[in-house]
Amino acid sequence: MISPAAARAALIVALLAIWELSIYLSGASNILIARPSQIAVAAWNMIVGASSAPDFYLNIGLTIFELVVAYAVAVVIGLSIGTVVANWKVLGDALEPLLLALYALPKVILYPIIVLTAGAGLAGKAFFGVLVGIFVIIFNTSAGLRQIDPNYLRLSDSLGFGPRRRFFSVILPAAAPTVLAGLRLGFGYTLIGVLTAELLTVNSGLGRLIDWASFNFYTPDLFALIFLAIGLGILGNMAFSSLERRWVR
Amino acid sequence: MAVIQATKISKTFYNPSESRAVKTLDDVSFSADKDEFVVLLGPSGCGKSTFLNILAGLTSHDRDGGKVTVHGRTVLAPQPDLIAYMFQDSILYPWRTVIKNVELGLETRAMSRAERRERAFKYLDLVGLRAYADHYPRQISGGMAQRVALCRSLALETEIILMDEPFGALDEQTRATLGSELASICRELKRTVVFVTHSLAEAAFLGDRIAVFSAQPGRIKIDIKNNLPRPRVMGSPEFRNFVDELWLHLQDAKQQAGAAPDRQGSPLGAT
Repeated sequence: MISPAAARAALIVALLAIWELSIYLSGASNILIARPSQIAVAAWNMIVGASSAPDFYLNIGLTIFELVVAYAVAVVIGLSIGTVVANWKVLGDALEPLLLALYALPKVILYPIIVLTAGAGLAGKAFFGVLVGIFVIIFNTSAGLRQIDPNYLRLSDSLGFGPRRRFFSVILPAAAPTVLAGLRLGFGYTLIGVLTAELLTVNSGLGRLIDWASFNFYTPDLFALIFLAIGLGILGNMAFSSLERRWVR
Repeated sequence: MAVIQATKISKTFYNPSESRAVKTLDDVSFSADKDEFVVLLGPSGCGKSTFLNILAGLTSHDRDGGKVTVHGRTVLAPQPDLIAYMFQDSILYPWRTVIKNVELGLETRAMSRAERRERAFKYLDLVGLRAYADHYPRQISGGMAQRVALCRSLALETEIILMDEPFGALDEQTRATLGSELASICRELKRTVVFVTHSLAEAAFLGDRIAVFSAQPGRIKIDIKNNLPRPRVMGSPEFRNFVDELWLHLQDAKQQAGAAPDRQGSPLGAT
């Protein structure tokens, strides 16, 4: 009997081996595709500063900083709007179709306007990340609060719970699973938003590095940078999984 | 001595869609003595649950001089130190284990964690669920969940417990089992219970006294003492006779309310 983790590791190793061998044996050009071993070397060189990547740590740090800022803003504003919309029925009903329309809109089309108003720097990129990430947080917060079984509150009323205890002992745990799912999805969307902005504006951050690698046909470096971006997503997801294990039953 | 005293309680609901007022309760007076088990019996929609909610302070009544007092204290809001309330649904919080659900009402009290735990185990023992203390609600059956809800009410150790059709959502067999458990628990613990049901058999089995409601507007039509000796036997001739008597009172109540009496079916079949 093998564990799921072992099976997963074996699958990944097998895929990497197939990738490595098929490129090696086919003799495909290193400009068009890189082998895992070359990607690992390129990544190592960037990490130890042996590559010609411009300001590697500064640019990576900048992207992470943009992501953190965008996500923090999306969480604070998203939770707030979601809470207001859930508790103020008239406003919620009035705003819902508008929010849904904005949610469905392919937001990348708005990016040129954002660059004009917020600039092509950190503010513009973070703003775009917020725009992409915030809606799912609003919807899930509002849904989580609205879906609380009214019986839960009838019970806490009969037990004489005050507003504070009512919030922390009933409303928060009852809404937590849906709200946390929204925060998890919101993180993924914010990451997509920030990276999209980075790729459209190649002046700094991970976008600058990817532009450097692709412009110079440093294909192994390009792959390494893409894996780095994927790693950011996986890391965020793992953080949420551990939060959910702790808080949600 | 009366522990609960309700005088001239009326309740009018406004129906906004039809913009008219519906009088659900009309001038209902009622009292329950210490350690008495009183059943409020009546058809669906007769206002007996509304009346129970008013006794609990969960619903307001019309401000026309009516009054609910418990030990002389006027009830306008829930009184968790005096009154425990049990709902038709078990309402266990799914994010809490069984024992943490039983402790829920004790968390507002000045008790230590260990005291709460000890109290919760005491009542879980009473209904035989100690082994399930660390289970989550989704892992137990509906009958067990309702036992846990009973524990949560009992653990408050209030003098009064109000029960709104607490076994109404259960299957017949589980319902009968829980009914007899409740009867023996009440004999042991001495609580004042007001119990709402539309089941004649449940009323006859549990009540020391049965207040029969008539509908539209809800009134107490008759208040009957139940002299059947305890422990009661559900199928015995005396039991059947008493159920028949209750049935006739319910029919009378219906007739009084202007509806045609229901002549078909046996009373026990209709419970």
